[in-house]
Amino acid sequence: MTVPVPAWFDDLTDAIDTEEAEYRVCSACDAAVLPPRQCCPECGDTAFDTHPLPDRGTLRSFTEIYVTIPAFHGETPYTVALVEFDGRLTLTGQLRGASAEEVAIGDDVTVGTERRDEGARLVAFRPVA
Amino acid sequence: MVSIASAASTAYDTRPDTTSRELFAEAAAEAFADAALDPPDVDIVYAGNFMGDLLEDQGHMGALVADHVGCREAASVRVESACASGGAAVREAVHAIEAGAADVALAGGVEVMSIADIEHVTDALANAADEVYENEQGLTFPGIYALMARRYLHEFDATREDLAAVSVKNHANAVDNPLAQFRKELSVEEVLASKPIATPLVLYDACPISDGASVVLLVSDEFAAERGLDASVSVLGTGQSSDAVALQDRASITRTPAAERAAREAYADAGITPDDVDVLEVHDCFTIAEVLALEALGFYDRGEGVRGAVEGETALGGDLPVNPSGGLLGKGHPVGATGAGQVVELTKQLRGEHPNQVAGADVALAHNVGGSGASTTVTILGGG
Repeated sequence: MTVPVPAWFDDLTDAIDTEEAEYRVCSACDAAVLPPRQCCPECGDTAFDTHPLPDRGTLRSFTEIYVTIPAFHGETPYTVALVEFDGRLTLTGQLRGASAEEVAIGDDVTVGTERRDEGARLVAFRPVA
Repeated sequence: MVSIASAASTAYDTRPDTTSRELFAEAAAEAFADAALDPPDVDIVYAGNFMGDLLEDQGHMGALVADHVGCREAASVRVESACASGGAAVREAVHAIEAGAADVALAGGVEVMSIADIEHVTDALANAADEVYENEQGLTFPGIYALMARRYLHEFDATREDLAAVSVKNHANAVDNPLAQFRKELSVEEVLASKPIATPLVLYDACPISDGASVVLLVSDEFAAERGLDASVSVLGTGQSSDAVALQDRASITRTPAAERAAREAYADAGITPDDVDVLEVHDCFTIAEVLALEALGFYDRGEGVRGAVEGETALGGDLPVNPSGGLLGKGHPVGATGAGQVVELTKQLRGEHPNQVAGADVALAHNVGGSGASTTVTILGGG
């Protein structure tokens, strides 16, 4: 089922594109969170400090997808990665500029976005040359 | 104490010509006949179902199946906790009886999946994940477990061959289970040679797409005594916990803390320790999932869970038989039914009636997972 992309995700990906993205860290327990959380999932606190999202992170894990969902029909194989920033915040996106065979856990990647059909936005990672 | 008057499953298989109401009624009819109970005896029906509204275009599954098993006047509710819906339904029923709100509860689950093609089933299963941060990025459910598996192989001394050993064991167990979908032995080589679905996981690291239903008739001890029922298998304890739905929101992706918490609660509720457990049915939707389950439930230290299948400790004749039914890998995984199906299999074990009987089994544990661990139930049974 196609549903509209939430405004908060549009805002996040817009900010990633202009290198102005931020994430929040719980003032009470230091847990890092992404939009649209209103309370800390670790301790329930509602006060946060804001930190800039770095333009590069490290590969936490990745997988090359062969069986997909209709929205990505015909695009297999493609690689989905978990990338960690500042050692405490992880984003999910697709790997660009390299195949799964060419990367390893711990590799450095940059983060950007791609616009897909119907306005959906993809988080895209590229290996640091 | 809450006891099990009877428990029954349909065969798990692909039955694309059938519907959830038929499958649930088929399982329930067997349970009523076995327990010498009648549908009007039931006070409440809990129906686990994950994707009826997505694949069958049918919501409101609680009332629908209640009506089709002859319990039209009972209270009814659909329980949805993704692939832990069946386990959660059983737990709700236990609580209703413990609270004195019901004497007889019919708890079960049902799923019809094979009516859709593989991409639409994969899409429906993906509803258990984070729509924005995961599905919109092209991540699939096999992909989520693949991310966990790759990280596990990176952090610990384990190999793809070790994971394949889980699949080999569970497929071997399924051969003699007449209710199992995939009754064929596989070798490690055959598992590894199957086609990739999400690297490093291949087809035989994954459970099949299945249709089926399982039900458990739970009764209060007072009701069992009053009616002279043979309800010698009892629920000793249950536990349930949640976790972040998105994998990216977890501090570790090689641990399943909801299972750790659910297990702690269930062990305390039952007054037992892992050493007391004789047989387990765990949620092996993928090979890596059984490994993580055995670590979370306290049977192996972190990074050691692969030893169970590799060294034979979790084989049918081993010290700790795990998934003698064939598990999700061999028996099949009609997602909403699975948690109740585990309780059906373990009830047979405790009654000494299982085709893969574990000798002298007195205490049994079921572990049922929704999503990649964001919902987990643990049910401990005893007696027989």
